[in-house]
Amino acid sequence: MSRPVPLLTAGGLTKAHGRTTALRGASVELHTGEILAVTGASGSGKSTLLHCLAGIVRPDAGSVTYDGRRLEGLPEKRLSELRRTEFGVVFQFGQLIPELTVLDNVALPLLLAGTDRAGARARAGQWLERFGVRGQEDLRPGELSGGQAQRAALARALVTGPRVVFADEPTGALDSLAGEQVMTALIHTARESGTAVLLITHDAQVAAYADREVRLRDGAVAALGVKA
Amino acid sequence: MTSLRADLRLAWELTRGSDRGEWWRVTLTAVGAALATGFALAAVALASLRGWYHVPVASGLLNEPGTRSGVIAGLLLLLVPVLGFLGQCARIGAVHRDRRLAGLRLAGATPWQVRRIAALETGLACLLGSAVATVFSALLLLRLWDRPTALTWAGIALVAVAVPLLGAAAGALALRRVVASPLGWVRRVAPRTGRGPGLLFLAGLLLVGAAALFALLGTSSAASNRPSIGLPLTMVGVVLAVGAGSVWLSGAAARGMGRLLAGRARSAAVLIAAERLRDDPWAAARTHAAVLLVTVVGTGFMGIREVFLDVVRSRENLTERLGYYTLGVDLTGAAVAIALAITLSGLAVGTAESLATRRRGLAAQAAAGVPRAVLGRSLLLETALPLAPAVLLAGLGGTAIGTWYALLAHRPVPWVTALVPLAIYAACLLAVATSLPLLGRSVRPGELRYA
Repeated sequence: MSRPVPLLTAGGLTKAHGRTTALRGASVELHTGEILAVTGASGSGKSTLLHCLAGIVRPDAGSVTYDGRRLEGLPEKRLSELRRTEFGVVFQFGQLIPELTVLDNVALPLLLAGTDRAGARARAGQWLERFGVRGQEDLRPGELSGGQAQRAALARALVTGPRVVFADEPTGALDSLAGEQVMTALIHTARESGTAVLLITHDAQVAAYADREVRLRDGAVAALGVKA
Repeated sequence: MTSLRADLRLAWELTRGSDRGEWWRVTLTAVGAALATGFALAAVALASLRGWYHVPVASGLLNEPGTRSGVIAGLLLLLVPVLGFLGQCARIGAVHRDRRLAGLRLAGATPWQVRRIAALETGLACLLGSAVATVFSALLLLRLWDRPTALTWAGIALVAVAVPLLGAAAGALALRRVVASPLGWVRRVAPRTGRGPGLLFLAGLLLVGAAALFALLGTSSAASNRPSIGLPLTMVGVVLAVGAGSVWLSGAAARGMGRLLAGRARSAAVLIAAERLRDDPWAAARTHAAVLLVTVVGTGFMGIREVFLDVVRSRENLTERLGYYTLGVDLTGAAVAIALAITLSGLAVGTAESLATRRRGLAAQAAAGVPRAVLGRSLLLETALPLAPAVLLAGLGGTAIGTWYALLAHRPVPWVTALVPLAIYAACLLAVATSLPLLGRSVRPGELRYA
């Protein structure tokens, strides 16, 4: 029986920031609907790996292939389109735009893609309801609690129906209860929609939500593990 | 079209939800655009007059084509400090704006979309200022002039449309070298050097050379009544060369001062200021360049004014129209004073913005035990140190203009004008000092808590 073709593959990724080498030939695979945790100590290259996989940063060497397409060859415009339509990205602090209301923040990827405002806001409202942030649509992100803001950021990442969600320490700035709520919402939605999740974390409790774990050390993959 | 409408809507929502700093930027940009529109509209209205024309203001100064041309040139030159002021306004909240643009990129906006949204944000502020100035100018024009010509209205419409468009283009151009990354850093494609101003300086000199060549060809040509392109070409060339040369001089003076003093500083304030200048010598170059231009023009004008009035008072045939000549000179003086006021406002705005941008660094220094007085002195020195040699040089240039005019008119050299650069230098330090109260808010250790 042949192995399923991975949705996202990275091979031999190398990336240096000035004199510091963040990645030294790291290779990972992510399959459709899979939840993969990338763990490791601070400075092990986890975030740089995510940035390379999401097409935010171009690697110095190695390749990233998404659905048969090599990302390093794509122009910036195509990469932006990928992030808008097929990828969703969530960071530790959500990265919501403080000037926009919560509803407009979630509707933003749809608005940028040319969806009409009413339609975009309606869909954004549905996602906010799903993530338990209903009633706060007209507030600014600064007026939300950390957990609410992070759930709104998740709603923004998922509003376009992406095939992959990249989450970089999504619970890093939250208390354990809020962190659990965010992770439950993310995993539940991902399972339901068949979205693959690449989860960067140094928290073993968060990594436990994943199907598989990749441990990085000094910019290279140190261990691979499949959960029982 | 739908995409443009969506971007316009987004730009409006972003502006609407902005903090106080961003509203300051919008307001000041609108004020700058209103000033630019006002000056340009006045120039256009005067330029649309043909031959001798009775203008019911300015004691007949605007009636004759010759003096009218001088006033038009003065109004257009006033655009230079206004543009410097607008450039300074664009820097307000730059750090927040870069983060916001990075947020848009993270959500999937293309670099072109981000540029367009930034351009629309600036364009909207300019549109507001331009619209207000156009309405007021049109009403004033209708009070002074029974039947403005079609050419005048066409010129007014052109200016009213061109100012917001140019503002939007400048907003997009400001991001030309900056690629807002989805990660929130700003990558500069090219290192910050004085190469740009240097190239502009050379372009200016080339234009002056081309004008000289045209003039030479013109004298050997039989067609003497052909319209001359030499004078406008020379004017553009001189403005380009002097403006770019001032930016370069200001940046180079800041870098030189920073390097010189960083190794020799004996006080903490000088050391902090010198390191800051060495690190980013081009930060204030534009504002300082406007100050230098005003210093050259102001000192030169004062010299010419003294000599000119001396000549007028000494000749009986001219004394009869003393009011006419005095008014012309005073109007020019008022224009120079307006330019100085705009430049000083730009300097104050720039210093306040610099404080806001560096508040975390300043708070870290305060938390590490650097006294607030030292930080205040270093802030003043950041302006005072590079500006001193540059203003001295600009003052010498202006004095040379006055001296040349005095020698031509066979009058004593008006040395009193040498005080003008000193006064401008003091005014600059005062303008910077107006931002110092903000330092108290910036150095609160609480600033360190925010990402």
